[in-house]
Amino acid sequence: MKYDNKAWLFLLPALGVMALSAFIPLMTVVNYSLHYIFSGAIPEFVGFANFIEVIRDAKFQGALGRQLLFSIAILAVQMPLGIAIALSMPKKGVGVAISLVLLGIPLLIPYNVVGIVWRLFSQSDIGLIPEVLSWIGYEYNVSLDPIDAPVTIFLLDVWHWTPLVALLAYAGYLAIPDAFYRAAEIDGASRWKTFRYVTLPKLRPVLVLGFLLRFMDSFKIYAEPLLLTGGGPGDTTTFMSLFVARKAQSYELGYAGAASIIYLFIVIVMSYLFFQLLTKLGQGESQKA
Amino acid sequence: MASIELRDVWHSYDLEEGKKNNWQYAVENINITYENGAAVALLGPSGCGKTTLLKIISGLTKPTKGQVLFDGEDVSHLSAKDRHIAQVFQFPVVYDSMNVYGNIAFPLANDGVDSSTIRKRVYEVAEILEITDLLKEPAGRLNPADKQKVSLGRGIVRPNTAAVLLDEPLTVIDPKAQWGLRRKLKQVQKELNFTMIYVTHDQHEALTFAEKVTVMQVGKIDQTGTPEELHENPASMFIGYFIGSPGMNMMDCTVAPDGTVAYNGTSFQISKKLASGLLEHGNELTLGIRPEYVELITRQEKNAMSGTVKLVEDTGAYKIVTVTMGSLDLKARAPETMKVEEGQAVWMGFPEKDLKFFKDGKKVL
Amino acid sequence: MGIVVENVTKLHQGYKKLDNVNLEVNDGDFSVLLAPTGSGKTTLLRLLSGIEKPTSGRIIFDGVDVTRLSVQKRNIAMVYQQFVNYPSFTIYENIASPLRVAKEKLGEKEIDRRVRSNAELLGISHILDHLPQEISGGQQQRTALARALAKGTKYVFLDEPLANLDYKLREELRSELKLIFREKGGAIVYATPEPIDALGMASHVGFMHKGRILQYGPVKQVYHNPRYVEVGEYFSYPTMNILEGEKVEEDGRLYIKVTDQFKIDVSPLHQSLMKDRYYLGIHAHAVSTNRESDKMVQIDGSIQLSEAVGSDTELHVDHEGLKVIALMQEMISYGIGEKISLYLDPERFYLFDVDTHELCAKTVKE
Repeated sequence: MKYDNKAWLFLLPALGVMALSAFIPLMTVVNYSLHYIFSGAIPEFVGFANFIEVIRDAKFQGALGRQLLFSIAILAVQMPLGIAIALSMPKKGVGVAISLVLLGIPLLIPYNVVGIVWRLFSQSDIGLIPEVLSWIGYEYNVSLDPIDAPVTIFLLDVWHWTPLVALLAYAGYLAIPDAFYRAAEIDGASRWKTFRYVTLPKLRPVLVLGFLLRFMDSFKIYAEPLLLTGGGPGDTTTFMSLFVARKAQSYELGYAGAASIIYLFIVIVMSYLFFQLLTKLGQGESQKA
Repeated sequence: MASIELRDVWHSYDLEEGKKNNWQYAVENINITYENGAAVALLGPSGCGKTTLLKIISGLTKPTKGQVLFDGEDVSHLSAKDRHIAQVFQFPVVYDSMNVYGNIAFPLANDGVDSSTIRKRVYEVAEILEITDLLKEPAGRLNPADKQKVSLGRGIVRPNTAAVLLDEPLTVIDPKAQWGLRRKLKQVQKELNFTMIYVTHDQHEALTFAEKVTVMQVGKIDQTGTPEELHENPASMFIGYFIGSPGMNMMDCTVAPDGTVAYNGTSFQISKKLASGLLEHGNELTLGIRPEYVELITRQEKNAMSGTVKLVEDTGAYKIVTVTMGSLDLKARAPETMKVEEGQAVWMGFPEKDLKFFKDGKKVL
Repeated sequence: MGIVVENVTKLHQGYKKLDNVNLEVNDGDFSVLLAPTGSGKTTLLRLLSGIEKPTSGRIIFDGVDVTRLSVQKRNIAMVYQQFVNYPSFTIYENIASPLRVAKEKLGEKEIDRRVRSNAELLGISHILDHLPQEISGGQQQRTALARALAKGTKYVFLDEPLANLDYKLREELRSELKLIFREKGGAIVYATPEPIDALGMASHVGFMHKGRILQYGPVKQVYHNPRYVEVGEYFSYPTMNILEGEKVEEDGRLYIKVTDQFKIDVSPLHQSLMKDRYYLGIHAHAVSTNRESDKMVQIDGSIQLSEAVGSDTELHVDHEGLKVIALMQEMISYGIGEKISLYLDPERFYLFDVDTHELCAKTVKE
């Protein structure tokens, strides 16, 4: 009994911080979402009116659509690419350290620095990207072209975060006992079959983790588009986080509150669905007997 | 199925890795032949070289010196797959994403065999292993013992399998399930007449499974023989000690031409004939006798060594009595009904026919 | 004086890991808690040592209630299955470690004396300056044992200390442990799933089953008088054969009949046998492959497996679909499927009630 009490004491500081930084703000947001707030006026309770307004708003729908497209593209590219990188990395020797460092560098750089660096790369007058692309005759303009902007953000994210998937896959890959590969060799399995029946199933837990992390993270992308394009041109790179934050900054707190809660809800539901789907997928596969 | 021969095999990992100084051999001077269809075990403590030999036989490691022959043909340059070797590992290796049928069919599917032949063969194998009702189950969900059966199934499904190598296959199996698997392995071997080589450090497993056991120690083969041969006629002190529970008693003694075998002041008699045969190897030898052959007597008798009972361990079936003769403890088996107590004075008779003598660790005579 | 466990229950997530356990271990006892995995023996040891506290009940050491006392205050030593040694300390320092943090300041000389004498006892004097990773598993466990002994506590608790060791090492350490603990005072409580540990080493044995102690007492007494069929079956080397039979009368004699051949005359017991069906129990070592006397009952069967166990052979025989195990005290191998006849001495049987599982009678004479 003595030990149990002490444990709670140790937790109090952490609980305190959590209350301040997460719980209280969350309650504040819920509070906003249920009220009509405008400037200095007294907030007026409006029930779910804000929520309905948000859902009906074409701009919200646009931001959500853009966000979904972005996250799906991210997942479709980063997952296979990360796995491919992991499998081609050396398992032993000095190459291991070198590869790990190279993979680690993009991950260690803070979000805002990434944003700024890529902005410099992509800037029309002094950037490397427009310069190189002009050699092949492509006119690149990140601040005006509605395709160039999101594609640039996309590539930025791939560069920044694929290493995470690669590292997770690499760790998982190293953990696969050699015996499985020997058995597959003895069974005469081709390289593809070995990948499909040994590597992939064994990597599944780690890949589910990677998938969920990348999904949740990409779904809340904020600093990079803000710094690179400011959300433009127009709203082609205004993804959900930025959209909601702008609403809050323009003091449409009721709207922003409701939008945040809807946003949170979508993330939770989609994560849950993905999780269920991915874990069932592995168990369901079987050949007909 | 094939006969397997290792001829003058020596292997050094150090040399393989390019070490120029202080290199050592992991296995030395290995010469063994296993007949086609034999149930064989490689037995020895960790580090004795049995895993190295397994890798050499399977083709995973190419020996520094020597040859590996299957049915008389040199296969030293062939890979594991091309040697048609199947292997069952220490922990069960199954393809989690396939069901049991898919697992067992896998090698045949990779060989391009048509599906009706595959179907027939998989059902045959499943029946032998008694897992027909598990065929539709996802392999990842089975318990370890059943998974090992599936592993074994994959190993025997191809008709041209030369040999099945088992590397301590019962390691992660629950003690209760071990018995069933041990029996299944032996049964499959007998029925299909496969050459099966079982590598282990556990004498229980080796002696239960194999008809022929090779005992290894620090890279060398000590002896190859049937379980009974190893038990009754160990070629080295190590085998005498390692096989059997408790191990063989060892006593350093001096033999005299008149048949006196002396230890630390006490002595007993053996025939002059035996003594003269022994003396050809020197007069300071080590005597070995298994506890079950030591005659434990409660009265003083002529040709018996005396001692005091130090410890009695009663297994219910029999008693293991540790008798101390000063600096040496000997163990003897006493029937359950015999009354023996710690501190009691006893005498031990050593029947001549059960005596083994060793010099420098090796058997003489 | 000694250890008393009084009405101890331990609940874990609504499930009873220990169910109203009572135990008395006296000074000088070597008590073995015998049970298959999951029966609660580890839990009981953890309660005795203080790592966990019981949900209800008391634990008393030498008349003092220690139930709420922390591990450190109980002054006990514990040895685990996984040889736990400090990897950065030499073997010497490992053995000395409990002595260095002891409440009473022991002088360096005393510490040295204790370390060396216990190292000597466990046969590891020659590796005192090595590190744990440089020595073998068996030596590591010996170090853990030396450390427990050096502490000099009255009570030492061991949780399957030999489980992770090689067959041969287990055999050796079993004999050594018996001798070592004999010299020591206090009491030992040793948990194991191996009957042979209890048979070889213990003075007292407690058989546990689903969180309860089914029977506790001096080894010989429990062995010859197993109160329940579970005790008889498990507390035996290699096992006790348990077969169900029905009570029949033939030619004026009373039998328990398992099969036509397998019929045991229990006439002298007719007054104690009220029911129709009984479990017959006979030790595997009492089943013979030779007809040793005319009284013996012959049963025919085929060999399922002959297992080499140490210097003995365990014969698993199928007799009309029933399994009978015989222990032969020699090394001999049989082929699977070979026909064999086994002989049972009618005066070596235990009879258990099929419903209550309790021992009702036996044909065994003490």
